[in-house]
Amino acid sequence: MDYDRLILMASDLGHLLLSSGAEIYRVEESMNRILIAYGVEQNDVFAIPNCIFITITTPGGKTITKIRRVHRRANNLDRVDRANDLCRRICREKPPLETAEKEIRGIAARPVYGLFMQTVAFCLVSFFFTLFWGGVLADAVCSIVCSVCMKGILLMSTRLRAYDFLTNLLASAAAAFIATAAVGLGLAVNYDKIIIGALMTLVPGITITTFMRDIMAGDLVAGLQRLTESLLVATAIALGVGLVLMVPRLIWGV
Amino acid sequence: MEYLQVVYAFFACLGGCLIFNVRGKELFFMPLGGAVGWLVYLLAAPFGSDIFQNFVGTVVLSVYAEVMARLRRKPATGYLLVALFPLVPGGGIYYTMEYCIAGNTDLFLETGLHTLGVAGVLALGVLLVSSVVRMFNRSGWYRETNCK
Repeated sequence: MDYDRLILMASDLGHLLLSSGAEIYRVEESMNRILIAYGVEQNDVFAIPNCIFITITTPGGKTITKIRRVHRRANNLDRVDRANDLCRRICREKPPLETAEKEIRGIAARPVYGLFMQTVAFCLVSFFFTLFWGGVLADAVCSIVCSVCMKGILLMSTRLRAYDFLTNLLASAAAAFIATAAVGLGLAVNYDKIIIGALMTLVPGITITTFMRDIMAGDLVAGLQRLTESLLVATAIALGVGLVLMVPRLIWGV
Repeated sequence: MEYLQVVYAFFACLGGCLIFNVRGKELFFMPLGGAVGWLVYLLAAPFGSDIFQNFVGTVVLSVYAEVMARLRRKPATGYLLVALFPLVPGGGIYYTMEYCIAGNTDLFLETGLHTLGVAGVLALGVLLVSSVVRMFNRSGWYRETNCK
């Protein structure tokens, strides 16, 4: 048994899960099970949202440690699902390491939706959430414009490697600006509904729920990290929208 | 007319699915959870408390997520992430911020606390269901994927 290779394979799977937005306990449990399946009873795995620490003691008494940083995370439920399946299969069948490595690479290479579909997704969310929160049809159409613009800003700042804080601030300011401008020009009615609908794609509602679950599951460090993350995003959004709404108030005293 | 919101919720969640790169039949089942959650929210309206409505909605959609996870053999989290979309108090967060800017301290505090309450209740509902399921399921799940 090549334990160096085993720990690499296990950490690859953990890395894949974590970078696709899986919960901490899923990452830790998966790696733990795989190591046990290959006969490494003595293993310690610790994960936080941007790092994995893993140490095993081989049956021969040698200790191997590995640290994996996770720099980019994006929710990808398709990958989480496949990686989870693969983990169960590895535990059951204990395939040769090459096979497992190949399957992990296969999952990492699975397609993601292209730019067009992502924009469509943004539009769907903002259009229907504007209607959902009580906007009229004109508002909903306006929020589509907002979300296309937001998507453009998000894309640009990914290319420029801007900080998330600035990205969120700019995107939400743009949405608020378009919404207030449209209402000012008489093209739409409720600027608040437009902004709420358009910003649903940015609001860290998911992160807030995940952080609560992490805390309850006992992953306190991970929970705090996610809490900080969601507070930062929320602050950025509030600042962006707030600035745009405040400036006209200061100038014209509306 | 109010029930049209359920349809809106479904399609909004469909958009959410695309953002999370969901593929295949889940593109129907995951948004369905969101629609079910909001339907229950609306049906619970006679109880007269927004917080309670959110709680019932979350509990039902969490149960839905756990059931679907078993039926479709997928992690329950995916169903939860998507279905919680309509219940997330996006409006509350926005109005809190707006009152803050407008300098309306009373409404700011009131809306802010209410929004916090809703967020807390969402987490509570999800946690309640998933911990109960985990408790009853633990031994069974361990046998099923026995690694020995």
